Amino acid sequence: MTISSLSCPDLGAWRAWLDHEDESPRFDEHLAGCPACQRLVADLREDAASVHAAFALLAPSGLPSAAETVVARERLRSQRGHPTPIRLHTQEPVPMFIRRISTPWRVAVGGVAAAVTLSLLVAFTPQGSAAAASFLAQFRSQQVAAVEISPQTQTDIIKTLNALGNLGTVKTPSGVLDPARAEAAARSAGEQVKSATLAEAGASVGFTLATPDPATLPAGLDKAPQIRVMPASQVRFTFDKSKASAYFRSTGHPDVSLPDKFDGATLVVSIPSAAILQYSDKSAKDALIVGEAGELVVDVEGGKVSLPEMRDFLLGLPGLPQSTVGQLKQIQNWNETLPIPIPVDKVNWQSTVFNGNQGLLLNDNSGVGSAAIWHANGHLYGVAGSLKATDLKRIADGLR
Amino acid sequence: MLKAIDLPQVEAGSSGLTRFDRLFAQFYSELFGLVYRVLGDRMEAEDTLQEAFLKLADAADLQAKPDGEVGAWLRRVGLNLAFNRLRSARRTRARLERVGRLERADEEPLENELTGPAGLIVREEDRAAVRRALAEVPERQRECLLLRHSGYSYAEIAATLDLAVGSVGVLLARAEHAFRATYRRQTHP
Repeated sequence: MTISSLSCPDLGAWRAWLDHEDESPRFDEHLAGCPACQRLVADLREDAASVHAAFALLAPSGLPSAAETVVARERLRSQRGHPTPIRLHTQEPVPMFIRRISTPWRVAVGGVAAAVTLSLLVAFTPQGSAAAASFLAQFRSQQVAAVEISPQTQTDIIKTLNALGNLGTVKTPSGVLDPARAEAAARSAGEQVKSATLAEAGASVGFTLATPDPATLPAGLDKAPQIRVMPASQVRFTFDKSKASAYFRSTGHPDVSLPDKFDGATLVVSIPSAAILQYSDKSAKDALIVGEAGELVVDVEGGKVSLPEMRDFLLGLPGLPQSTVGQLKQIQNWNETLPIPIPVDKVNWQSTVFNGNQGLLLNDNSGVGSAAIWHANGHLYGVAGSLKATDLKRIADGLR
Repeated sequence: MLKAIDLPQVEAGSSGLTRFDRLFAQFYSELFGLVYRVLGDRMEAEDTLQEAFLKLADAADLQAKPDGEVGAWLRRVGLNLAFNRLRSARRTRARLERVGRLERADEEPLENELTGPAGLIVREEDRAAVRRALAEVPERQRECLLLRHSGYSYAEIAATLDLAVGSVGVLLARAEHAFRATYRRQTHP
């Protein structure tokens, strides 16, 4: 007995048959002898093809790669409050400059704040054995240098930072960083970002803000920026021997311990206040972003550890990518150079002079956005936008 | 080896990955495709998935269930969050601003596709017409369309929408017919 000799399959059955969800030969047999079902199937086929063509327009240009998925997972982990030692949120100046440019940027930026911090931790220590005898009290950012990172090294850096958080206690402006309260802390940090006039912003950050030459701004850009100020803040990371021992035991490394002299030593990262000028055009509120901040300063307080020892310890953290360590060691004037992690799978970069000051010009591979970062006269500057790099550089050069 | 101390340690294997890590790796990319079709914005899609997986991270009992059930739950939550996001007037406005800018720049040009400003405008208008038509289709049909045309099987659609597998065909057929009629009105008034 065949379907053709019985009642016709219903609408849903035919639709499933079209999608090869039911490949019984009885459907073919029935269809061959049933004009009504032939008309129905033809209509269903037309509907399906039409919808398929329309929905193809909605498909993304690409799905996240395995590496991007890992970055997303780490971002979620941070958002959920994994004890990252120094998570700077909206107060961290450099990522803010390039935060909202485009998806490729955004994907990359997920680990940039963490990477900058780690770079600092490592970079402020002396380069090579010749400098090991010196004791430098402070790191002060005076210039920038690129440190190339890949999705893998970016992930490794984040993981290493997460592990570092288990060796002590992090204090942020909103208190001890408790994983359960991290989201509230982030929200609180975000709320501290305030809108202001140019004069108010200048008074708040303690210097007169540089602004772009209007002649260099692209047509269609609103010439009056929205101005936002992020207050200065300080993050303190205090090594804790007992906490570290518990962590090493829990991870199956009971033989590893934090040297006694690290117990109580505090790494103090002073993040300067920053001002952001946000220029809109008719398609976006952040078509151009100009940022300026003071120096970023890192100190060590308490404990008996010297900076060379701190360096050795940090460089020995398990999981820290050797390529990153190698690049950091290559930086001259390490005690005043802010390393800027560059996700080279997403971003092209070149060393460029802005107004006589060495800096970095970056543009993402899709051509969507570009950014400039440089240090001058004790200030860190950033310009970013959905612009060609040459146009963006003209704006950067015109800052006064 | 690092320990993911903030996420439930269900079934941490010799690889060091937790059950949550594996679920994230298994479902993130495909869910991105689904949610992106609703929102049309990579950033919004990423944020939506962050919300969905945060909910999963809080649900240890759910993580212990078979992969198929977790996947269905994630698709359901992802779609709900995406539509909620879309319904928010403020976010929708910002999204539309961004969609206009990012999709134009982000997408690789297809062969035989119009290029230059005229082509960009045409593509954007087409997408907007698809989304308008989709918005007019009843909710269940809309979800069925999105799932099917994101590549999910009837079994997966049934699990997501809490239907019998045998009911998916008829829901899909009606949804496609309704969408096509609405879409034709949009594009050929």
